[in-house]
Amino acid sequence: MSFPHLHVASAYSTHYGVTMPEALAEQTKAQDGTFLAVTDRDGLYGAVKHVRACVDAGVRPGLGADLAVHDDDHLSLGRVVVLAHGNTNGRGYAALCRAVSAAHNNAAHNNAAHGSAAHGSASHSSAAHGSASHSSAAHSSAGTPSIARSRLAELAGLRSLTVLLGPASDVGAATGHRANEDARARLTAWLRAMPAGSVTLEVVCHLSEPGTPGSVTPATRMLALAEHAGLPAVLTNAVRYGTPAEAVTADLADAARTLTPLAELEQPQTNGQAWLKPARAMRQVARMVVDAGLHDDDALELLFRDTERLAERCALDPVADIGLGRSRMPEARIIGVSGDPVAELWKRARAGIDDLYPRPEAGARRGAASAEDAHARLAREMKTVEHLGFAGYFLTVARVADIIREMGIRIQARGSGVGSVLNYALRTSSVEPLSNGLLWERFLSPERQTLPDIDIDVESARRHDIYRKLFETFGSDRVSLMSMTNAYRGRGAVRDAGLALGMNHEQVASIAKQMWRFNARDFRRALAEKPELEPLAAEVRESQQLDQLVDLTAKLDRLPRHISVHPCGVVLSDATLLDRTPVQASGIRLPMSQFDKHDMDPMGLIKLDILGVRMQSAMAHAVEEHHRLSGESIDLDRIPLDDPATFELIRSTRTLGIFQIESPGQMELVGKLQPEVFNDLTVEISLFRPGPMQNNMPLKYLQARHGEVMPDYLHPRLEPILRETKGVVIFHEQVMRLFDELTGCGLGRADVFRRHLGKPEQLPRIEEYVRERALERGFPPAVIDQVWTVLAGFGSFGFAKAHGAAFALPTYQSAWLKTHHPAVFLAGLLTHAPGMWPKDLIVAEARLLGVPVLGLDVQRSTLDYRVEELGDERRGIRLALPELTGGTAAERARIVRHQPFSSLQDFRDRVRPRRKTFEALARVGALDSFIGYDRARRHELLAHVQSLRGTAVTINDDQLAFEVELPVQGFEGARFDAVTSLELRGRSQTDLELRDLNLAVSGHQMTRFYPLFAELGVTPASELAGLPGGTEVLIAGVRRATNTPPMRGGRRVVFVSLDDGTGPVSNVVFFHDAQERIGGPVFQTRHVLVRGRTRRSGAKGVSITGENLWDLTDVARKAAQRQKAAAAARHTDRADELAAELAAIPVDNVHHQWPIRA
Amino acid sequence: MPQIIDTQVDVELSADGDPQAFIWNRFEHTIIGQPQAVFTRTRWWENDGVPLRIDTELWRVDASRGDEEQHRYDLRRDVDGSWVLALDWG
Repeated sequence: MSFPHLHVASAYSTHYGVTMPEALAEQTKAQDGTFLAVTDRDGLYGAVKHVRACVDAGVRPGLGADLAVHDDDHLSLGRVVVLAHGNTNGRGYAALCRAVSAAHNNAAHNNAAHGSAAHGSASHSSAAHGSASHSSAAHSSAGTPSIARSRLAELAGLRSLTVLLGPASDVGAATGHRANEDARARLTAWLRAMPAGSVTLEVVCHLSEPGTPGSVTPATRMLALAEHAGLPAVLTNAVRYGTPAEAVTADLADAARTLTPLAELEQPQTNGQAWLKPARAMRQVARMVVDAGLHDDDALELLFRDTERLAERCALDPVADIGLGRSRMPEARIIGVSGDPVAELWKRARAGIDDLYPRPEAGARRGAASAEDAHARLAREMKTVEHLGFAGYFLTVARVADIIREMGIRIQARGSGVGSVLNYALRTSSVEPLSNGLLWERFLSPERQTLPDIDIDVESARRHDIYRKLFETFGSDRVSLMSMTNAYRGRGAVRDAGLALGMNHEQVASIAKQMWRFNARDFRRALAEKPELEPLAAEVRESQQLDQLVDLTAKLDRLPRHISVHPCGVVLSDATLLDRTPVQASGIRLPMSQFDKHDMDPMGLIKLDILGVRMQSAMAHAVEEHHRLSGESIDLDRIPLDDPATFELIRSTRTLGIFQIESPGQMELVGKLQPEVFNDLTVEISLFRPGPMQNNMPLKYLQARHGEVMPDYLHPRLEPILRETKGVVIFHEQVMRLFDELTGCGLGRADVFRRHLGKPEQLPRIEEYVRERALERGFPPAVIDQVWTVLAGFGSFGFAKAHGAAFALPTYQSAWLKTHHPAVFLAGLLTHAPGMWPKDLIVAEARLLGVPVLGLDVQRSTLDYRVEELGDERRGIRLALPELTGGTAAERARIVRHQPFSSLQDFRDRVRPRRKTFEALARVGALDSFIGYDRARRHELLAHVQSLRGTAVTINDDQLAFEVELPVQGFEGARFDAVTSLELRGRSQTDLELRDLNLAVSGHQMTRFYPLFAELGVTPASELAGLPGGTEVLIAGVRRATNTPPMRGGRRVVFVSLDDGTGPVSNVVFFHDAQERIGGPVFQTRHVLVRGRTRRSGAKGVSITGENLWDLTDVARKAAQRQKAAAAARHTDRADELAAELAAIPVDNVHHQWPIRA
Repeated sequence: MPQIIDTQVDVELSADGDPQAFIWNRFEHTIIGQPQAVFTRTRWWENDGVPLRIDTELWRVDASRGDEEQHRYDLRRDVDGSWVLALDWG
């Protein structure tokens, strides 16, 4: 005996259902069920997962959605369940997708119209069934999804859909309060509106107390209504969870959804019976429902028969109905292909190779791949592509890349797709795979049948433009954004659990702060085990509420919480896309699929990752600025990859601002590694990852690279594979080639083995195979032992070389720009902020590179950083208007629109700045053009600005301003009679800039400490490189970054990067003992003085091992006091007394150390 | 006036899982007709701990002992499966 559940919310009905689809399917199977429908609220969010789980569990899947409906007058008709019919060649499922999309589209329109439509009648919704009660009906105006009944009727035609009218529908609500006539009238309206046979009544009974929603009475009346109308009725349990034990979680969901503590919920679940009951329990319910009213003799059997029949009708075939596993590319004509896609792909790829590779007769550069090699590789790649039928996919991706390039946007492929000559020839990728030793099989092979992934990095600032263009080009019936499911994690879970319990906000917030580094599911265990949580654990032991909080937090952990647009996923398909995925509006207004990345491949949807990368924007800005100033066009993708000056800059470790290698840890590694060729950059980037770092691979590689140890190639046959990394296995590609060489399994299978290395349960099987085959292929057992140890130890970490090479290209390109065009490059960095360092430091770097940074000037500054020619071949970077703190976008727009200004009056009249903005501009000198750039007069200007009252005169854009001179301009008398502002007194330009711009432009903020540095004997950062290792030094500066990179051995190491304005940042390493000695200030102090020893890292690199650290401001104050005291001592007899005072200052205070250095 | 009984009883279930009879004071009480179950929710957050169930299972049954006049009773089934005769409605 089994019972088919037709109305089930999964956990993807966020804040409503609480059981994952996989668990529901498993439970169905365990209860001998053969059918299960999932009908999530407002969407098909859990649909693909449900269907796949059902396939795995051997259960027939049904799909539906629990949707709000409104009539032609936009009056709410409550909520209904819309179920797709199976065995319709996908027609039912398509209609369901369209219905969901329509409901959301309507919501978006209502939102836009400020919710003028679809206000529900309160009486209906409030009487709705308890567990389904907080239906949006009563307050559906605020953009809640709702579908028009007329639209639903259209979609339900051709026997595509069944609509279940249950307790939450208008009919059910009327039935609920015995308004029988009303209920019949409403049912008649449904029957008139909908196609024949598409309406079924839904009987739900949760055995709640008489007189409450969910009791037997409304259920038995609903059954009577069906009998009266001659309609089929089905029994469901309006399921929200798999087991009764999860009812608690549903309570939490109600609290979280309504933002109301449990104790104050208006309509809590009437009881905990909305679970996935087995057949016997459902029969029990049915008997009670039938017994409670007057029904036909066979009412009970009829109810079950109709339920079974509907389930039969709604059982979907995963392949025929949903199209699971069948990929659909955009139609050929959409991607500009007229003939056979395979032939077209061949044609384009061959042409690409002939363009990009040197002809055989032309003398190729050393190491460069020849066209002949490329054609041979292409043939191999095309074989797989044809075999898998992916020609359309490659053409589509290439088309997208073309579109982006045609928009003039920088593009860079990333990921394993970079290993393909095909992608290179189609110009989807710009890294040449053969000369970089990249493998096609890492990307695609017959052994790997999932749709391949090609990730495309673009300029971050243009990402949304690209999305819009793709919608425009392919049509919104073929394109959608992808969504992502955000699940509860520790902090969110504890907050919502706290909310449900009605705990006070501060208490919950303070607990939430401690919820990290462990799973919320293991909250109780963490409390018992983690010493830092002991105070909380003690509180929990004392408080019943906190004790509950711990368990409730664990219950919420990992549950889906909401969906949002994926940061880079774009879905591309043919014109049937909207028949296969429902869409809803995303935050950026474009339609977004309700499916997430895990659903893409099963649904045969092509997903492109188009990721915004700020460095691409920064480089584009640099190239644009260079073109604006000089008329020269730089094609970054065609610059030579062996420029000596570029590598020299990289080797000098002055890598600030360069993609991927600008962090202190990277600076150090670059210094040690001393890259000479492009491949070194690929290796460097691949080494600087948690896995290799923890396994000490950088050190092993460096020792072999610099000849300190002999590289160990294990066996002559393995040497070609390991040579490029001196015997250290770094890349996925190497692992694959090792497998292939050892076993002859082919690279495709080798990649399968490589993936399985991360799964301990697979290891014995692989080991057995490798040992057996390698012996056969003539490898000695000792070598096999050695290689296997390396392979097994490799695990799943490491890096695809394709990925590393794809990263190395922008690394090289940005280094090249920094070397040859520093001004425009830094302007790009300042405009798009791609890296880890604050702008203030980039400004300091500019100063050091001899690129003047020009102050804010309302005559010249624009919305981004522009470069100005200064004559004498020099270029300076003009500060951008958005740097002014407190200014508004509107003010900035007006400044740019009306530049230049003839006078202060003109500026004020056209820009109409707010007083705060006006004064700030005056303070930092942005208005200095009105006083002839005479800084000494700025206080007069500021006083004038401050004295201005009354509103600015509004002047039409086409009208000239009154040329009224600024009073100070014409002032001739003695200066001290003039009105002045005291606000500038005693403040340096740097102080003012830091105040209003957060950026020190004119000078470095540390300069005020320079006299102190001289007195203390502080070593300037620029001098450090000249010192031998182990030299004791004092260094100082403003903290620019604090890093705690992953380290071998697991002990935390703190990197602090200090900037004293003299050179690159100096990186101080604090090891465990120093951290203990210093305590909190190691993370907190802003202006820092450090004592430590130099540590050489390679030829150019130097860092400091920090021993102690002081707050520079303290030191400065004490030094000043001491000087004062010393001066006083010289003039009085208080010398002894002062000496005693000084002696009382703690010994470890720094100025006792100074004499050592001085 | 209902009379509070609050005593553990043995309950005999039918093949369908409905209570069929219960033994109270050594006498078997036979349940007549379709018994009705009611699940009443608790305000669990006001108590200690997080419960396995958020509701209480009550069965309202009409039963008689031998040929005696039938009474209406409330039977409660606890989470551990044990039955308690809660009320005798008379």
